[in-house]
Amino acid sequence: MTTSTTSTTGTNTVADLDERRSGTSTPRFLLGKIGGALASLVLVVVLGFLLFRMIPGDPVATMTRDRPTSPQQLADLRERLGIDKPLWQQFVDYFGGLLRGDLGESYSFSRPVATMIGERLWPTILLVGTATVLAVILGLWLGVRAAWRRNSTFDRVQTGIALTLWSVPQFWLGLILLIATQGLFPSRGMRSPDAPEHFFGQALDIAWHLTLPCLTLLAVIYAQYMLVMRSSLLEEMGAEYLTTARAKGLRDDLVRRRHAVPNALLPTVTLVFLQFGMVVSGTVTVEAVFSWPGLGQLTYQALRGPDLPLLQGVFIVLAGSVILMNLLAEVLYRVLDPRVRAT
Amino acid sequence: MTSPVWQRRRAAAATLWQEFSRNKGGLIGLGFLVVVVVLAALAPVITDESGLDVITATGTPLQPPSWEYLLGTDVDGRSVLLLTFWGARVSLLVGFAATVLSVFIGTLVGITAAHFGGWLSAVLLRFTDFFLVLPSLVLAIALSSVLPKGIATIILAVGVTSWPATARLVRAQTLTIESRPYIERAKALGGGHAHIVGKHVLPAVLPLVLANTTLVVGSSIIAESTLSFLGLGDPTAVSWGSMLQTALGSGSVTAGAWWYLLPPGLAIVVIVLSFTLVGRALETVLNPRLKGDR
Amino acid sequence: MTVTSPLLELRDLGVSYRTGGQDVAAVKGVSLTLGAGETLGIAGESGSGKSTVAMSVLRLLPRSAKITGEILLAGEDVGGMRWGRLRAVRWSAASIVFQGAMHALNPVRKVGEQIAEPIRLHGETGTAGTGAPDVRARVEDLLKQVDLPVGKASAYPHELSGGQKQRVMIAMALACRPDLIIADEPTTALDVIVQAQVLDLLGDLVAERDIGLMLITHDLSVLASACRRIAVMYQGEIVEEGPSATVMGTPRHAHTKALAAAFPTVGDPRSRFAPATAAPLPPEPDPPAEPSALLSARDLRVVFRDRGGAKVPAVDGVGLDVFENEIVALVGQSGSGKTTLARTLLGLQRPTSGTVSYQGEAMPTGGAGLRAYRRRVQLVLQDPTSALNPRHTVYEAVAEGPRIHRLGGVQGDEHSIVVAALEAAELRPAETYLSRLPHELSGGQRQRVVIAGALALNPSVLVADEPVASLDASVRGEILGLLLRLRRELGLAGLVITHDLGLAWNIADRVAVMYRGKLVEVGTVEQVLLEPRHEYTKSLLAALPMGTARAAEPGV
Repeated sequence: MTTSTTSTTGTNTVADLDERRSGTSTPRFLLGKIGGALASLVLVVVLGFLLFRMIPGDPVATMTRDRPTSPQQLADLRERLGIDKPLWQQFVDYFGGLLRGDLGESYSFSRPVATMIGERLWPTILLVGTATVLAVILGLWLGVRAAWRRNSTFDRVQTGIALTLWSVPQFWLGLILLIATQGLFPSRGMRSPDAPEHFFGQALDIAWHLTLPCLTLLAVIYAQYMLVMRSSLLEEMGAEYLTTARAKGLRDDLVRRRHAVPNALLPTVTLVFLQFGMVVSGTVTVEAVFSWPGLGQLTYQALRGPDLPLLQGVFIVLAGSVILMNLLAEVLYRVLDPRVRAT
Repeated sequence: MTSPVWQRRRAAAATLWQEFSRNKGGLIGLGFLVVVVVLAALAPVITDESGLDVITATGTPLQPPSWEYLLGTDVDGRSVLLLTFWGARVSLLVGFAATVLSVFIGTLVGITAAHFGGWLSAVLLRFTDFFLVLPSLVLAIALSSVLPKGIATIILAVGVTSWPATARLVRAQTLTIESRPYIERAKALGGGHAHIVGKHVLPAVLPLVLANTTLVVGSSIIAESTLSFLGLGDPTAVSWGSMLQTALGSGSVTAGAWWYLLPPGLAIVVIVLSFTLVGRALETVLNPRLKGDR
Repeated sequence: MTVTSPLLELRDLGVSYRTGGQDVAAVKGVSLTLGAGETLGIAGESGSGKSTVAMSVLRLLPRSAKITGEILLAGEDVGGMRWGRLRAVRWSAASIVFQGAMHALNPVRKVGEQIAEPIRLHGETGTAGTGAPDVRARVEDLLKQVDLPVGKASAYPHELSGGQKQRVMIAMALACRPDLIIADEPTTALDVIVQAQVLDLLGDLVAERDIGLMLITHDLSVLASACRRIAVMYQGEIVEEGPSATVMGTPRHAHTKALAAAFPTVGDPRSRFAPATAAPLPPEPDPPAEPSALLSARDLRVVFRDRGGAKVPAVDGVGLDVFENEIVALVGQSGSGKTTLARTLLGLQRPTSGTVSYQGEAMPTGGAGLRAYRRRVQLVLQDPTSALNPRHTVYEAVAEGPRIHRLGGVQGDEHSIVVAALEAAELRPAETYLSRLPHELSGGQRQRVVIAGALALNPSVLVADEPVASLDASVRGEILGLLLRLRRELGLAGLVITHDLGLAWNIADRVAVMYRGKLVEVGTVEQVLLEPRHEYTKSLLAALPMGTARAAEPGV
């Protein structure tokens, strides 16, 4: 027997001619992705700028289309918005302001847009964060179970529920929940005026208000995650390395846990991040229904005006946050999936 | 040569139908769709349009369901049944038109990005990815708030914000097809861009586009209802979304007028679910990759 | 140890799959015995049921499979085992080296972990414990046994080459010291030299520790060099079994003969210009008085950039001529640049520098000129299944070229061109094939359709990229025979790209050996293959499985 006796051969024992080349280096990858995200952000800013200045000619007319306005008022408004200047000048002013954190002034509230967005940011993060975390847990868990028992009753029922929820407009689900639970949960806002002063009481009060909006948001997005997880795992089920795992004598659940799920999870995790835009879209209607004091409701209020500076600010902040999440997803994917590092 | 080719096509269509009809969900969905589309098309014939007018409405406001008004009345005393009936027309019209726009842009961008590599592809891909991650509803809101209100605006807003997913799908499929050796063979035979795209890529991509279209109609209907709900729709036309907007605005929710909320919402769910089921069934039948797994 | 029962005994094994309400038999009445230290080869083409036999030993077949007969693993019936017992037996009593290590390894886990997994699971069978240091030591030990550096334990599968992955698979198979190893096409995707290394490794391991080895492959020459006994499977049944020398030297069954002839011996005069084809070959025409070069490459260079931006020369200063009425074999391993060279010759890849010319005129780079060039120089691809659009009928596939070039403007003309091309590719009677779709044809027929599609343009040179590599052994000879007949009858010159020296010996007039983008040796077949001058050519020849050569000698 000549096991493990000679290790003098060093590293070059294998004469294979087709050594694999390693992939892009990490700093290079990061620079590329951050550069891409910055380009996207600039594109968002330009898009926001153009959208609200150029179509269809006179934003002031759009803003005031629902109420009578004198020519003097219109001229004042033009000057206040800075749209009497040439377009390039406007863009420079706007971009410069943006870099200083100045998003202009709201037309209907007469307050700085940036301040208003700052106030509304945390409630939205709370709502979106809670719903996403719960949806990911629920969706992935159900998706794995459904895929592993494909065509079982569990799979059929769960897929059916998910497909139905996926077809439901979120705002309507919110309305229905409101009607169905009449009075059980608060129907608007984030806090009650009579909530206890101490921290625990406040937290409980907020959680109380959070229940329905969170549930509404959760219902639709978990369905998406579940369907993605299910199909992603189904795709892995025919993979040959699973046969290897079974041949090794692994139990069925170990084959699933150790081999199938880790592979299927990777594309799903990215999708969760990529679909963050969908979640953000969802919050707009859900917050409008439940008067949750976040960015979504602010959008809704801006639409009433229509308050173009405010709308533009919200648009840039929401789109920008989605781009940042996307960047995060790409970096995370590279950390998680060894294959990506090579390609 | 024509007759055997046509025979083969007819046989292929028969097989497709056979496989499709084995999918119960798809079949049920298709049934619902046919019924709803026919009813919506016949609405002016089988119902009286004058009932939609606020002034001539005969019922008392927010009346629960009764024999006279099977689904009750809205805040203006109009029949909810009649409104739901007519709402279908706007919802379906916007759904279909926006889908055609979106799928057209998506297919064009997808095939172009995949077929002609180089900088054009890189730019298109970057552009697609940019619009893919943007919250499409927020963009649609922005668009429809600056354009004049109306059905055309809604169609445009939904259509031009929902194409990136189709573009990604078509691009991926085109890349798969173009990596096949028979494309290389066609090039070696002397085929140019038009030959490759027309004879090989399009016929292979279109079935998937069709399945995808069905799914896009569903999401377009939801998008339409959402925009209308936010008050961005055509103020003169009744759609399911605008009904729900009026419901929320007029305090029907707090009043517990469930009959006002349920019909339009359920209609959306049923129609979108039907499109989704049909789309998924078509996908399993038409996508060879999905057909393969047991 | 007193061995009472053999390691593996199959008694009248039958496997059938239920598809569409019907039972389709994949394996019928197979009986085999394998003792300790024995090597048994199972040969057969795709669909012969050989892999099903391998999978049935550890009951790894899908649920739709129905098994009859007995599978005795060291005397114990696998079919009657409870799940727990079966799981305990898997990998510890018998392990499998799967086909295509690329997909058989989990892509997101380090290979060291994957080797360690069965050790932890079946710890008690080994002498070492299952504690972390013991397991790590054992994994390192195993990697050394398969000649891999210990550091590779922390590599992911995609970071390894094909040969390295196959070594990892072997290390994994040895992990629990099984008595039996089943190797299912362990070397199919590998290059000749790597294949020889892997086979040597397997052979040494078996000899060292008295393991029983069941080697499954379509390549009879591999079996002949690695196995003492060979069983040949055909349509689910064993048609011939015996010592390898006998099976290879004096095959009795017609199918075995076809398999044996498909892998000719380099240097055997009987197989020179004699591919295994049933139809007779026309006599060699008189050579042209002054052969002129049809297709020439001069100092051709193709440089790619890898992801890091570094320049990688795929074709590095190649000069090559293809004369009238000759077949040139371009030989090399994967990655040698031979396919890039072929694509450049066809104008599918732009050269970085150098020229390609046809009858002395430089190849146009685009437009109508390039299209006209392509009428003269045509392509046959490796895998006919993917080289045909699955939606196009045979007629459409063959007519594609003529339509692009607007040959036969009248419908009738196009029809006659297509029929003539199919006839020339020996699909007779052509009319019966016209409306068929590719999936209704066999692999060999598909390749004929591809060839017919090229012939329809009436070219002078055919560039064929591994034209038989994906075909079953018995069809191989027929396609090679067709290429040879086309040259002799129509004077169609050929550039055949291959990794297979036997193919060159079979039909080529001249050989060009390509290594790392350069032609290292060009000459007549006899010169290059019998008296190789370059080291690389020598190593290619040395890596050929020796079985075929030995079997050709009488009395072995």
